[in-house]
Amino acid sequence: MRFTSTRSRRLAIAMIIAAGTTVPAAAQQTGMSPLDLSNPAASRQDANLRSFPTPPTVTPLERLPVGKLKLPAGFKAEVWSLGHPGARTMVMGDKGTLFMGSRLIGRVYAITTKDGKREPKVLLQGLTQPNGLAFRNGALYVFAINKVFRYNNIEDKLDNPGDPVELTDKFNLPDTIHHNWKYVDFGPDGKLYVQTGANCNICEINPGIHGQIRRYNADGSGMEIIARGVRNTVGFDWHPATKELWFTDNGRDWAGNDGPQDELNRVAKGMEGANFGFPYCHANGIPDPDIKRPNPCAGVVLPAALTGPHSAGLGIKFYTGAMFPKTYQNVAFIARRGSWNREKKFGYDVIVARTQANGTATLEPFMTGFLDDTKNEFAGRPTYVLPLKDGSLLVSDEQNGAIYRITYAAPQGKRN
Amino acid sequence: MLLLRRLGVPAFGLAAAVVGASVACAQTMPLPERIAQCGSCHGEDGNSRVADVPSLAGQPAFFVLNQLFLMREGVRRVEAMTPIVKELTDGELDALSQHFSKLEPKASDEPVDTALVPRGAELGQKLRCASCHLPTLAGQDQMPRLARQRIDYLFTTMKALRDNQRAGADTQMSSILAGLSDADLQALAHYSTSR
Repeated sequence: MRFTSTRSRRLAIAMIIAAGTTVPAAAQQTGMSPLDLSNPAASRQDANLRSFPTPPTVTPLERLPVGKLKLPAGFKAEVWSLGHPGARTMVMGDKGTLFMGSRLIGRVYAITTKDGKREPKVLLQGLTQPNGLAFRNGALYVFAINKVFRYNNIEDKLDNPGDPVELTDKFNLPDTIHHNWKYVDFGPDGKLYVQTGANCNICEINPGIHGQIRRYNADGSGMEIIARGVRNTVGFDWHPATKELWFTDNGRDWAGNDGPQDELNRVAKGMEGANFGFPYCHANGIPDPDIKRPNPCAGVVLPAALTGPHSAGLGIKFYTGAMFPKTYQNVAFIARRGSWNREKKFGYDVIVARTQANGTATLEPFMTGFLDDTKNEFAGRPTYVLPLKDGSLLVSDEQNGAIYRITYAAPQGKRN
Repeated sequence: MLLLRRLGVPAFGLAAAVVGASVACAQTMPLPERIAQCGSCHGEDGNSRVADVPSLAGQPAFFVLNQLFLMREGVRRVEAMTPIVKELTDGELDALSQHFSKLEPKASDEPVDTALVPRGAELGQKLRCASCHLPTLAGQDQMPRLARQRIDYLFTTMKALRDNQRAGADTQMSSILAGLSDADLQALAHYSTSR
């Protein structure tokens, strides 16, 4: 198709105009936030405080930064798969297919293993940020922004997924897009957990819609609110022993280099529906500088641990595998994608959280090396973690469209 | 097929090996011909004289590459672009992006309402446009050039971003523009183009 004739050119222009003006009246929906309410005078305009591009194209093996990675003694990282740009969430199918969600590139990948070699393929494309994936009874649940699909028996039809069952109306999730790419997972109670983030950096949200973690029956019925006042969690998991829900949460931006810090939180038994503070109270009790009210932290559940300023803790998984040393039983691995709204870059690593019965947690480094502190540059962005059946740990790298596998072998003379 | 399209789900048989697909660089049309094709709407020199068609001259190369990629992928849907981008190889995306990034951006032929500019500047300061789009509003990486862009295109695009109708951009833009009136967006458009 070439626009050489005036007629076809006019047609093309008409189509562009039509595409640009088909904004339904319903676009002014409920829950629309007012302007971002952060005070511009308090954080200057600065090109050192901006978000970084994610390449949509493939990073070849020789350019993957796996050689830079540093781990505790006995641990080793290798490239597990590559060639799937925008690599984020990972869920494992019953028959060994790794499904991978993404954001801007709009793809869901299926990664199979043949003769020990990974074979990634684009399973779905053209979706709006399909970050939320869950697998149950042979079905893949795909949560994009504003769309929910279920693909039954997906592992039997990877070459042709066919028509999904659409569950969008059943889940009735908000149609705002900011902080509404999804993280979803089935809890130990068999319910499907999903979050609705704050649709702004900092603003008065509609607490009946935004800033929640919810749980549903798998068909989208029976919605219950499990946590409130949660700004932007895109990772949660359940403690293997206590079955309590733990979640990461990203703190607000444009309030300075030092935070308020990101959080690791726990929903204690009997505390379902508790308030975690957004937008009035951040981190371990910091009142918001822009949105004020008396006693902003009254009744707010404070975090189990602070996970660093702008560090972007995303994926979290508790470890119950047999490969790593016993000291790693029931610890949580957290992938920190790394800061953007901070002059000196921070995060870009995987940390270990050792949770305590009293609801606190201590943190320690685990996988580092992507961040070059001297040059203030990063080589990769860990987004999600997934323990495999053999006890090794997968880490996805969104920047390079790759997955690394971390294994452990006891150093000589030392028993596991 | 129609149902699949409506759902935003790929057509049958689209599942393809990723690594294999992305190394193909063969061109489907000689580059000068392809550039002329783009120029028939976007302007021969990359400066559009057509209502609601964006200027590409001086856009950051990554921005153009990324948008073409997302249009080819079906994430960002612009009907007039769809048949063209479907033909483009990765090599062509790269060559076109490089080409347009090197052209000189010229002032739009639309009249700037100078009375709106101060209000736009004030809003621009408040919304921190310069942090991502740079103080000159020349754009960088995934963030487009706003300076010397067509006013009508800037307005239409910001309206779509505000109303959650524009895919292919960081969702931050939707939250940044949330709650602004059409008059605010007009002010921002007139201010941005005149930078």
